[in-house]
Amino acid sequence: MTKFNNGPARLAIALASAWIAFAAQAAPTVSRLTPPSELFSSGHAAPVIARFLPGQRFDLQATIRPDDASKQITSAMFAVNGKTIAAPVALKTCEAACLKGVPANATLASIRAFSVDTPGIHSLRVTATQSDGQTVTAEGNFEVVALLPGAQKVKNIIILLGDGMGAAQRTAARIVAGGYAQGKAIKPLAMDTFPVTGMVKTASLNSVVTDSAPGMSGYVSGNKNNNNEEGVFPDDTIDPFDNPRIEYLSEYLHRTQGKALGLVTTSDVFDATPAANAVHTSSRGAGTGIVDQYLDDRGLTGLSVLMGGGRKWFLPASTPGSARGDRTDYAFSSTDAHTADIVKRWGAAPGAMDKDRNLLAEFQNAGFAYAADKTAMDAIDPKKTDRLLGLFTLSNMNVALDKIDGRRNKAMGVGGRVVDDYGFPDQPMLDEMTTKALAVLDRQKNGFVLMIEGASIDKQAHNMDTERWMLDTLEFDRAVALAQAYAAGRNDTLVIVTADHECAGVALIGGSRVSDARLQALVRESGGTALRDAVVGIYEQAGFPKYKISADGYPETTDIDNRVLVGYGANSDRMEDFRTNDRPLQDSQQPFVKKEPLSIYPAGPMARDAEGKYMITGQVPGDSAVHTASDIPISAFGPGAYSFTGVIDNTDVFFKLAQAAVKGVVLPPGLGAGSTKLTKAP
Amino acid sequence: MALILGASIPAAFGQTALQQDRQADPQVLRMTEFFHFPVGPKGLQISQSVLQAQGKKVSLQGYVVQQETAAPGQFLLTPRPVQMSQHADGEADDLPPSTVLVSLPAEQQQWMVAYTRGLVEVVGVLDVGRLEGSDGRVSWVRLQLDSEATRRMNAAEFFSYRHALQHKH
Repeated sequence: MTKFNNGPARLAIALASAWIAFAAQAAPTVSRLTPPSELFSSGHAAPVIARFLPGQRFDLQATIRPDDASKQITSAMFAVNGKTIAAPVALKTCEAACLKGVPANATLASIRAFSVDTPGIHSLRVTATQSDGQTVTAEGNFEVVALLPGAQKVKNIIILLGDGMGAAQRTAARIVAGGYAQGKAIKPLAMDTFPVTGMVKTASLNSVVTDSAPGMSGYVSGNKNNNNEEGVFPDDTIDPFDNPRIEYLSEYLHRTQGKALGLVTTSDVFDATPAANAVHTSSRGAGTGIVDQYLDDRGLTGLSVLMGGGRKWFLPASTPGSARGDRTDYAFSSTDAHTADIVKRWGAAPGAMDKDRNLLAEFQNAGFAYAADKTAMDAIDPKKTDRLLGLFTLSNMNVALDKIDGRRNKAMGVGGRVVDDYGFPDQPMLDEMTTKALAVLDRQKNGFVLMIEGASIDKQAHNMDTERWMLDTLEFDRAVALAQAYAAGRNDTLVIVTADHECAGVALIGGSRVSDARLQALVRESGGTALRDAVVGIYEQAGFPKYKISADGYPETTDIDNRVLVGYGANSDRMEDFRTNDRPLQDSQQPFVKKEPLSIYPAGPMARDAEGKYMITGQVPGDSAVHTASDIPISAFGPGAYSFTGVIDNTDVFFKLAQAAVKGVVLPPGLGAGSTKLTKAP
Repeated sequence: MALILGASIPAAFGQTALQQDRQADPQVLRMTEFFHFPVGPKGLQISQSVLQAQGKKVSLQGYVVQQETAAPGQFLLTPRPVQMSQHADGEADDLPPSTVLVSLPAEQQQWMVAYTRGLVEVVGVLDVGRLEGSDGRVSWVRLQLDSEATRRMNAAEFFSYRHALQHKH
């Protein structure tokens, strides 16, 4: 057999005879081999892209294309290090199920829930046979990372994920919450007090700029995923739930150690960050299927605590407010091995097209105590509760600024307080959810993995709503302090604080040179660069902005004199007046409500609103600021913390966490006591 | 330039000049009163006033949602300002329960509504109940605008639009 490897086309071609090769290169081809590797894509053995723990499960898959529409792929087999894998290979012919451009007779060959115990770099080979007898072979590689004998094993892992929280977001929160005096921070953030800090490279499988799905799954699967995809490798089908899976940290530690999983967020619970700890899908937007999988696959993940917004996915379609629908759901075939093997070999739920499902009731029937608001959450006795579901809003929870305004009874909304406009006036803060989650999970005798997300640091940075992401960072840091307090003195809990990526290219450019009253006058009287030049104080003109913190831990007001000023390096076009954004009260004070007719324009590039005084031209298209590729900080506390120093890849975090939980804590290479000897420790 | 500001240029886009007589004064509905607030532990309860307005001409005041990826022929109206970053957040959004999907008339399905800051008032026929859109998003309250509720861009807007075409973002 002759083997060809045309890297640039990402096709590994093997032909049955040399004659055919010289004639027209008519032969079947392998257009995708999963797990992804540079060996398959470019012919280079390094870097190794896919890495796993010993015994960590993942799917093998290849897409094989016949050389002619009249032919089929009749068989395929996978081999690792030259040894054929005994498990049966599921074959699926694309027909209409594959992406545009993939031939209808292309075939997907899969082995589900595969694993390798032996550490090292392994070769993966697929060999397929076409109906005319021609064969094709393609080769890739993957690595199984060795875990080393360590010291104590970590029982609990707490991952605090400030979505979109880069270094500048942390600095801004420190300035607002603690303030500075003569160059010294008066009161550091809780995350500032963690003893170890490193930098994380955040790229996803298909971009230097990640989104939240692969951003999170990198930390808890050890592998790069495509943007918008979580817990899966990319494939060639349109089904968002059939992709090759990768076992999550939660699944691995639940299967091997019986640990529980807790997910706490301020966003809708179906959102990418929480889902990328427990749900396997290539479509982070498939809400109905995602929340179904939370419940149906809790036997795989150990899911015991789930709190945040997103009740709309849990209500049957007939209930007003429900967002459940068949277009965001899934159901595996019981006869087609392509998906039936997910059920059979992973032990996963088959799913169902069940928009009328009352998932709220089913969670409760499964033993989850349910809290619909803070009062109900507070009433839950953690000593008697093993499982907890909190769904405090229909979609995302309100942000910290609006929740705090609600508690202060500040009527900033149309109908009163913003939380009243949403109909959910009694929402808990993230730190309050954290307290309850820790109290419930503390009962888990085998320990837990708890992910706590400050979600709207990112969402409000997209909006370039400075004060709202600042206060969400403060809210997040209060949860950090609680996790740190829980871990302190226990010596069995590892806490990391990080982000999935930076958002908006936030930079602290200085401080306002004027009082808030003067600023308002300047906004009224001037515009454009005149407004900017009168307001933006650079270098020593910025001084040290001082926010007055109330007893509730948040600024009395964000519209202070001489405020801190933020620039956005990844901004879309925006209007800037340097004041807290989009308060409905201000808008309703406008002299008139705009009546019809509304202005319309042909579908195409956005026509932009030309109102406002100071237009900052965007460096990115669209109306939102975007994620950036900048490295982000990671801080660690507790046993195993020392592993989280240096400049590391987001997938490294997974192996460091697993090392601490499975084999015990180790020092990273170069930090050995009295030695600079490099080791292979994760 | 100032002279042509505000001058509408329907000819540029072949305005069909559909004009309908306004019916009697529309019923004024408050968006914050669509459902019984605060929301209880389960789903929403639709208020009587909204149920009674089903299929009738109503007037709503709200904010046009600033969408990153807006669809032609429709826009979202909310009782408070909301920006959506769909590319990053999808349906993990900050839309309040009483968000209204406002549809343009059938002959305007290829037109976009320009984002407008501040409160706007819209008049149209109310439709209440579950509807799953082609994108999978479920809406519970919708408003069908009259043809007269929209106009083509004025000269300044057209200039801005052409500029956007020349400098694609």
